[in-house]
Amino acid sequence: MSKPIRIGLLRLVDSAPIIVAEANGLFRDQGIDVQISIEPSWSNITDKLTYGVLDAAVMLPPLALAACIGLRGPKARLVVPMSLSQGGNAIVVSAQVAAGLSDGGSQPGLRLLDWLRPLQTRPRFAVVHAFSTHNLLLRYWLASGGADPDRDIETVVIPPEEVVGALAAGSIAGFCAGAPWGDVAERDGAGKILIGTSSIWPFHPEKCLCVGEVWADANPDLLHHLLRAVLQAQVRCDLPEEAPKIAALLADPAGLRLPEEACRAALPGGSGAELIRFHTREAWFPAQAHALWFLGQMRRWGWLDDQTNIEALAAQVYRPDLLASAVDAEGLYPAAGLPSLEGTAMLPMPNDDAFSPNGWRQR
Amino acid sequence: VKVLLADDDAERAGAVARVLAADAGLVVVRLKPNESLADAVALLAPDVVLVDMARPDRDALDGIRQVAALNTRPVVLFVDEDDPAFMEEAINAGVSSYNAIGMPPPDVKPILRAAVALFRRHRQAQDDLKQAESRLSERSVIDRAKAILIKQRHMSEPDAYKWLRGSAMSRGRRVVDVASDLIKSMEGNAG
Repeated sequence: MSKPIRIGLLRLVDSAPIIVAEANGLFRDQGIDVQISIEPSWSNITDKLTYGVLDAAVMLPPLALAACIGLRGPKARLVVPMSLSQGGNAIVVSAQVAAGLSDGGSQPGLRLLDWLRPLQTRPRFAVVHAFSTHNLLLRYWLASGGADPDRDIETVVIPPEEVVGALAAGSIAGFCAGAPWGDVAERDGAGKILIGTSSIWPFHPEKCLCVGEVWADANPDLLHHLLRAVLQAQVRCDLPEEAPKIAALLADPAGLRLPEEACRAALPGGSGAELIRFHTREAWFPAQAHALWFLGQMRRWGWLDDQTNIEALAAQVYRPDLLASAVDAEGLYPAAGLPSLEGTAMLPMPNDDAFSPNGWRQR
Repeated sequence: VKVLLADDDAERAGAVARVLAADAGLVVVRLKPNESLADAVALLAPDVVLVDMARPDRDALDGIRQVAALNTRPVVLFVDEDDPAFMEEAINAGVSSYNAIGMPPPDVKPILRAAVALFRRHRQAQDDLKQAESRLSERSVIDRAKAILIKQRHMSEPDAYKWLRGSAMSRGRRVVDVASDLIKSMEGNAG
């Protein structure tokens, strides 16, 4: 057997497909050997992918794109051959802020705006990374309610495991983070979930599988079998009857050590306010339309200059062609029909000009 | 050049600070325990930030220019585009370096190189210690297995060791694994 495929991930519920594939022998059945590396930060994942210390990783799509543009230092050569999950994030405010918002039956976005307007100091909101889906969805949501995320709030980056503590301690007014932390905040009485990110953009892409381009080019066969195993794991992860077993697996003290009950709540069939989906509605499809949305929002906030060709970047990084043989072999979708999924990837779409990748400019 | 050092391992941080302090052109400031990395960067405006890669709060430096308070001096990851092997070496040692942008870049590489050397030495010392500890615990496992053989099969101590070594060799396994299996099977029988 060749040397193992090194896959990096963080302690999060949406790392489940990799953990489930390993625990159920799906990698072994594909004849590949995988070595999972639990990393402390997204920066570590990105650095290690960039320098080939990891071959693949569970990744934040906007961070993969930012790394390829060179926004965080080196220009990385990374590709996204598949998406891993949809949804799962929650926008949470402290119990104190929530109490001030509870009057009136209007939309949470509008009530938040009423609260933001008279404030003397900008309230602090935490996200897990600058280039995260969480940050871009929070900013999009605030802006669609009429707030300016650069002027009306202060954004800080706090590791997901620490957001609930920061909220309870009063050092932040709110956060947008992935499961299970919104439910944990509610269970602990530290905060209240205002809105799940699937209510902002239904079926929004969340994590992706990212691989080094050099590795992908050199190992097409390994990549094919890796993708097949992960596709199979995603099917399992979407079955409500598997959820108790998966939650127990994610809670393994020798593994991710996540809170079991809160994991169960975020998995399909769970009781959480916002659920993660792994397979249905072609959650695995790495749509270039998704990459374009992330890039469009990054440009909206002035993080990209006008010279950046976002269409070319989306096509360079998001590579559904790399997934075609695996979905075909799994009988999920005929390889020839795969490009037609692009047209449906953004649906249903919020009723908002600023949503489409270039739409916000035309207002 | 002001260097902010974010490393909670006091011994290692001390060693890095001492080495860097030998350069009269460098001022080294250490991040206090529980102090936020982003706040320290905003407050101290360092030219270079050295960060232990095991810290989860390292993500606060990524894209700090895009999200952080207006008065924060932005930093970017230091990269030597011409020397990927050195970058890989730094990652494997577990230390990364950021530098302030918008000003003439200080000569960061020698600073990072010194940190990499000390981080690597520290890791080596830890690995050695772990290995020494595991040898000690292996020794005690083998001793317990020998004691079982001596007591239950009335072997002499040299014979007990010979038996363990012989069955390890015939099965292509390590002596400590055979010893541990023997202990487990005896405990299993007892329970």
